[in-house]
Amino acid sequence: MGLFSRKKSTNGEVIAVSPSCHLDDVVPIGEIVARRRVRVVGEVVRMKTRPAQGVASLAVRIEDETGAATVVFTGRRSIGGVSLGRLLLVEGVAMNRGDTPEFTNPEYTLLPREATKA
Amino acid sequence: MKVLIAGAGSVGRHMAEQLALSGHDVRIVDVEPSVVGDKADGGPIDGVTWFLGDACEVGFLNKIGIETIDVVAAVTGDDEDNLVISLLSKQEFAVPRVVARVNNPKNEWMFNEMWGVDMSVSTPHLLTALVEEAVNVGSMVRLLSLEGGKTHLVEVTLAPDSPALKKEVGGLGLPREAAVVALVRAGHVIVPRNDTVVQGGDEVLVLVSLGSEAEATDAAIRAALVG
Repeated sequence: MGLFSRKKSTNGEVIAVSPSCHLDDVVPIGEIVARRRVRVVGEVVRMKTRPAQGVASLAVRIEDETGAATVVFTGRRSIGGVSLGRLLLVEGVAMNRGDTPEFTNPEYTLLPREATKA
Repeated sequence: MKVLIAGAGSVGRHMAEQLALSGHDVRIVDVEPSVVGDKADGGPIDGVTWFLGDACEVGFLNKIGIETIDVVAAVTGDDEDNLVISLLSKQEFAVPRVVARVNNPKNEWMFNEMWGVDMSVSTPHLLTALVEEAVNVGSMVRLLSLEGGKTHLVEVTLAPDSPALKKEVGGLGLPREAAVVALVRAGHVIVPRNDTVVQGGDEVLVLVSLGSEAEATDAAIRAALVG
């Protein structure tokens, strides 16, 4: 199931609905253009703490069907609500870090977990 | 390359001049009307575009075209401003390279990726190192830090009682993270090989990458060259 669809049970009843209107203008992660403001939605698949001279940053890897991006939150080791499997809506400007776009302290929204996962 | 220089004091202005001479597209910003534009000392510089405004403001940075800028140099005389400008450049505009000036060495610890700074330069620190380098025989001087502080170029002028005297470069017992990159002897630069023998008075230049064992690495180099 994609991230923006409705899932229907066998008798046609809608049993899971992804968030709608505030997901306007969301682009697939694979289509992120560096240095342009974008909105993407991805699932948190990995979280790493990056130490830097005594202060840590949290580097979160989010993925969708088209690619992966890194979201870095500076000066902290964890963020309430951001955990593996969580859907994150991220809005900000990414830079190219090798092959992976990287956001630094973007705006983020925690999306509800889907009722069912494919 | 498109460069944005924040801070049009003597450092910023001279940087602008040199970069423009090298053919780069330079923009320079300051909040002070008296330093910007035709009224600036020495007049405006060819190839440099001047802007009057506050580089700590996102709206202003947008207006002056930061989204195509390749390098931001935050070189104002105020460390707080330099940090804010660096962070905004990285976070809001994903500028590929951010260089910042550290005015007060006590603030140097903040000038790293936490605040969006790729490379920082502290003039007092540099000058101190150069002064020490000139007067210190027999102790280790850090000349330069590269790669955001992960790599250092250090120098030891070998004293007459150095444990390294008459040894081959390959047999100095330096730790793995250190490499002797050059010897300066009587004004000549010698590219060392493993069997080059070091002499008293040699200035030994060592490139060190400081991992988690920074103090131990430091101590090992001192033990090998200073004694």
